[in-house]
Amino acid sequence: MANTSRSKRLMTVGGLIFLVLGIALYFLKAPLGLNRKIYDLPVFLIIIGICSAFKGFTAKEKTEEEAALAGKTFTEFLTNNAILLAMLVLVVVICILQPRFMQIRVALDILTQSSPKLIMALGICFALLIAGTDLSAGRMVGLAAVISASMMQTATYANRFFPDLPQLSLWIPIAAAILACMLFGALNGFIVAKYEMHPFIATLATQVIIYGVCSLYFDMPPNNSQPIGGIRPDFAQIGQLRLFNGLWKGFPGISILIPIAIVICIIIWFVLNKTVFGKNVYAIGGNREAAVVAGINVFSNIMFIFILASLLYGIAGVLEAARTAGATNNYGLGYETDAIAACVVGGVSMSGGIGKVGGIVMGVLIFTVIQYGLQFINVSPMWQQVIKGVIIAVAVAIDMTKYRKK
Amino acid sequence: MRKVFMTALVLVLAVACCAHADEVKIGACIYRFNDAFMLRFRNAMSAESEKLGAVITIADGQDNQTTQDEQVDAFIADGVNVLIVNTVDRMASQSIIDKAKAANIPVVFINREPTPEMLATYDKAYYVGAKAEESGTETGELVASYFKAHPEADKNKDGKLQFILLKGQNGHQDMILRSKYSVEAVKNAGIEPVELASAIANWDKLEAMKIMNGFIMSIGPENIEAVIANNDEMALGAIEALKAQDYNTGNPEAYIPVVGVDANASALEAMDKGEMLGTVLNDADNQGISAVRLAAALAEGKDTGTIGYEITDGKYIWIPYQKVTRGEKQ
Repeated sequence: MANTSRSKRLMTVGGLIFLVLGIALYFLKAPLGLNRKIYDLPVFLIIIGICSAFKGFTAKEKTEEEAALAGKTFTEFLTNNAILLAMLVLVVVICILQPRFMQIRVALDILTQSSPKLIMALGICFALLIAGTDLSAGRMVGLAAVISASMMQTATYANRFFPDLPQLSLWIPIAAAILACMLFGALNGFIVAKYEMHPFIATLATQVIIYGVCSLYFDMPPNNSQPIGGIRPDFAQIGQLRLFNGLWKGFPGISILIPIAIVICIIIWFVLNKTVFGKNVYAIGGNREAAVVAGINVFSNIMFIFILASLLYGIAGVLEAARTAGATNNYGLGYETDAIAACVVGGVSMSGGIGKVGGIVMGVLIFTVIQYGLQFINVSPMWQQVIKGVIIAVAVAIDMTKYRKK
Repeated sequence: MRKVFMTALVLVLAVACCAHADEVKIGACIYRFNDAFMLRFRNAMSAESEKLGAVITIADGQDNQTTQDEQVDAFIADGVNVLIVNTVDRMASQSIIDKAKAANIPVVFINREPTPEMLATYDKAYYVGAKAEESGTETGELVASYFKAHPEADKNKDGKLQFILLKGQNGHQDMILRSKYSVEAVKNAGIEPVELASAIANWDKLEAMKIMNGFIMSIGPENIEAVIANNDEMALGAIEALKAQDYNTGNPEAYIPVVGVDANASALEAMDKGEMLGTVLNDADNQGISAVRLAAALAEGKDTGTIGYEITDGKYIWIPYQKVTRGEKQ
């Protein structure tokens, strides 16, 4: 009991200290000449303070049993959150090395970059939850990007993909791109469900097919494999629009990608936790035979899993084309590995049945922050790769020891 | 019935073979089809072959040297009279030269230059391309002349040019030379260049956009005075990243000059909109035409002096670069 209230008090008091410190710095940074040294640090302190204090106030009283458990497992807490703690240390180090990191625009930029990755990860988590994987995800992004961009060029652009195409309504190319992805998603699901093929092999085959089909489409005359450019501004806005841009001086605005990702996140959370389909996914992943015996229609559920996932990849692909105002058939290369890695770091088990939306969000954020931060302090891309690999290995190792104990 | 069909098929094949027996057969290998520059090159080669009455087959190396080696073997087995090769990895040129030499057919390298030592090992090995250092020099000159004509471009008023360099694929000769000579040209124009940061973006728009975004955040757009990219796609990626921070959207207060190389359609459009300062045209048309003319002349054993392009040192055809700003050749 004492333990819980102590941690509660700690959080509340700590939060309030951060809050006061933040407010003080906010008003003092200009007179002290710290503007170019601490940037938006006060605002971050205020936000952290409010969150921490709020959590301290609202935290549920734990039973004695739980409290005892929490106290005993402090070292366990450290190991369980090793990656998160490593990230926090890294953030502090980066802030010291390069104070520009402490800007609201940087935080927003990290969220913007996380958004397409989160959409990918939420798609791929379904395959992981049934103890499978989806290697075709990245190529589907490329397919959707190429298809949508090819129909969204300005009338005056010199190298149009379809020279005589009229100005289409925005929805037609988007729907075409996403439907094309869903078609291949259905193919994935069919091979996996009908022939009980391991998703690794099934999606490997589909991945190669998609890349081939996408390259054929991309190579059609008169385009002949040129990078698609001259994208219509209204289409580019889907990925580039910034909400509340210039709300106050210097505010860069919130990228439209962030709310899109949040909405998708909420939908997927609902699907996984509140629908029969969601329960079935966990059941099939936990024990396929038991699921069959329990009367779950494994075939239709697996079909639906891959189609739903491909829908998300399609959305990610369209957004990627809009954001960069262009596309080539190489878009999306390797996205599936990043998405799988983020899921795994977020606690999704490769052996199926275990994984939460909240964990995936954390996994994506941790990955993006680390990658972004390393680039921010100019760590060589080769070292970035090494570090990324180490993070994946460590995260999975911790996860495995956790489950073995249970 | 089947016998008749088979006989007919054999006859058709035989006739087809005979009909093409005295035509020049060119086997061309391109490192990767979805490269805007190589596309113009390919189109020029196809058009010129048709004009000369030669048969050209073009293979996509898919950015994989092993794939390309297999394609070269297949062309030789197929009995082409001459090879045109755009290597994936220019250091692999030697093995292609050896293969051509063994089959005793001429080989014309394009766009990716073998070392002089490699070319020296075979008297029928040639290179058609542009001098990469020239493209570097010209991008540097574009930036330098803008910097001199617009005093406000020197944002921190130190008289030096603080720039960001976006480089192509590691080890590519164009990347090495363009990077080196663009900076050198700025220096030669009497401005001290200061490299704020540089990164390899593999000729790619998406990669350049991500990298540039990072630089904008960590360095601050107000401290960047120019972006020099090794090609247009990377320059366009940098421009997308700048536009996301309300730079280069028409407001003269928020503008960073960006230059590239290639003069592809998207770059010309960006220049028309005032988002991009300039580019340098790597003259794919003349390179493609000269490569095919040289290959055809070699295959037929004709005098290479009649093709309309000057051959330097008995091995090279150099096609000059051209500066392009605001959609017009200077």
